[in-house]
Amino acid sequence: MKLVQVAGYLGSGKTTLILSLVKELATRGRKVAVLVNDVGEVPVDGQVMEKYGLTVKDIGGGCICCQVAGNMRATLNNLARNQKPDIVIIEPTGMAVPSAIRDGATIDPKFDSLNHGPTIVLFDTTRAEKFLTYETLERLVNTQLKDADIVALSKTDSASPEKVEYARSGVLKINPKARIVMLATKTGEGVPELAAAALGEGV
Amino acid sequence: MTPRERVVKFLNGEPVDRPPVFSGMGNVIRPVLDKYGIVFSRVHRDPAAMAKAAAGMYKDFGFECAVVPFDLAVEAEAIGSVVNYYDDVDSLLYPTIKEKCVKTIDDIKIPADLSKAGRIPVVCEAIRLLRKELGDEVAIGTYILGPFTLMGQLKELDELLEESFIEPEKTNEMLTMASDVIIKVLKLYHDAGADYLTVREMGATSDVMSPNSFRSLVKPHLQRIHAAIPRPNILHICGNTNYIIKDMHECGANAVSVDHKNCVPESRQKLGDKAIILSGFDPVKVLMQGKPGKIGPAAREMIPGASAVWPGCDIWPEIPGENMRELVGALKE
Ligand SMILES: Nc1nc2c(ncn2[C@@H]2O[C@H](COP(=O)(O)OP(=O)(O)OP(=O)(O)O)[C@@H](O)[C@H]2O)c(=O)[nH]1
Ligand SMILES: [Mg+2]
Repeated sequence: MKLVQVAGYLGSGKTTLILSLVKELATRGRKVAVLVNDVGEVPVDGQVMEKYGLTVKDIGGGCICCQVAGNMRATLNNLARNQKPDIVIIEPTGMAVPSAIRDGATIDPKFDSLNHGPTIVLFDTTRAEKFLTYETLERLVNTQLKDADIVALSKTDSASPEKVEYARSGVLKINPKARIVMLATKTGEGVPELAAAALGEGV
Repeated sequence: MTPRERVVKFLNGEPVDRPPVFSGMGNVIRPVLDKYGIVFSRVHRDPAAMAKAAAGMYKDFGFECAVVPFDLAVEAEAIGSVVNYYDDVDSLLYPTIKEKCVKTIDDIKIPADLSKAGRIPVVCEAIRLLRKELGDEVAIGTYILGPFTLMGQLKELDELLEESFIEPEKTNEMLTMASDVIIKVLKLYHDAGADYLTVREMGATSDVMSPNSFRSLVKPHLQRIHAAIPRPNILHICGNTNYIIKDMHECGANAVSVDHKNCVPESRQKLGDKAIILSGFDPVKVLMQGKPGKIGPAAREMIPGASAVWPGCDIWPEIPGENMRELVGALKE
């Protein structure tokens, strides 16, 4: 089972992207499960979600505490035992620390092995200035961007090219190693590339 | 020296024969639940079971404390959030908030009598039962969420943070309301017989909250709380907290507690010799994934700079009993 995380600040486009990724991956014949923080919005059987505790947001803030991490492990074990998806996509809360979630996620080898896919962090280009200049957000933005394998510059359909470039250079200053993907889920730009990355395929 | 004397004296900064081996956070493990025939999803609502499970950590494993409750939803539930206990799930899951009850400040309705609200009476009764069962021998601990983290159980924390840019006074008012609840509930727990109290403000970790935001948004509330609640008490925040370790110390708790992501020798340097620093080992890596023979050494790695070592978070219940025994043995040495 492969784990892909889609993180990023409140309203950065995580759920919208995950919905598109699920469709894209399904057409490529992959079975996908989603652990999300807005249970209602995702076309996954709500009751199944509730029953297995498929939420990763319950304790807010950066500290995905041991109880939440434990529930997440139990949930992954349940998925591995029952639904057996190829890929699990996790959408943590907007204040999550991606590396804490990645570290907290394990599966009992009895059931399956867990394969870590990319950590995708969304950076909302329409609010680039706020994220790159507000002192109050500095820790959060830095932590999330530094934990990213891929930074998806989101909503590029609604931001001017200058703004997108400003976002790109700002992001690279914080995490020079990140792979940058231009994303406009609304128009579909970037979605196939992220789906390929989730599958571990090259560009 | 009884375990209780050791814990209380230690937290009060008085001399002890050795640091206590205890926790300020949730600790109950499967072997104890099984021994007393307790179902985890039920234990949170049954004071007798809660007390038995907590006492078992002392009686069966020599852990020098009995801590209740086990979950993090007690206060939020008392204020109106809806909790899922996962009653019909086979695997062990902690209760979580299924519905947060607050969108705007007007939604916050604090019950007039918290001693009767939600499961607060359950926790109080469990504390009384523990005192009856364990007498004066063992320290009884309890914990509560800090104001920012508690607000996160009532409404989405990222929304709260976002709103704090736009309407800081409103956010402040909400945190004041949360703090009032915390103070009242901790007094109830203390009156029921709790020996030490831990305030867990894990939502305000400096991994995501800027030190300045911590200072302006959270610290004043924590200072008010620690000035008002009974002693001894502890302030715990996880993550790399050295950015705010002095501020944590200035919140006025008897002791500060940090987790394994924080470099304790650096904290010691910043706080000086007198401060009581509880250095948290990673309960998952050390206790759950640790192999026999490696658990003691891994926990002892956290000793430099620390006043005592304890779990930096709740102990996940699914750990082998031997691991717990090895931990307690190694830390008592
Ligand atoms: N212009 C534009 N808007 C988008 C795009 N993707 C998402 N949005 C909008 O951004 C807003 C937030 O989208 P969500 O997908 O709910 O974002 P999220 O990160 O899941 O939000 P939270 O879970 O609340 O943190 C919605 O109004 C979306 O319609 C995009 O590609 N372009
Ligand atoms: Mg979402």
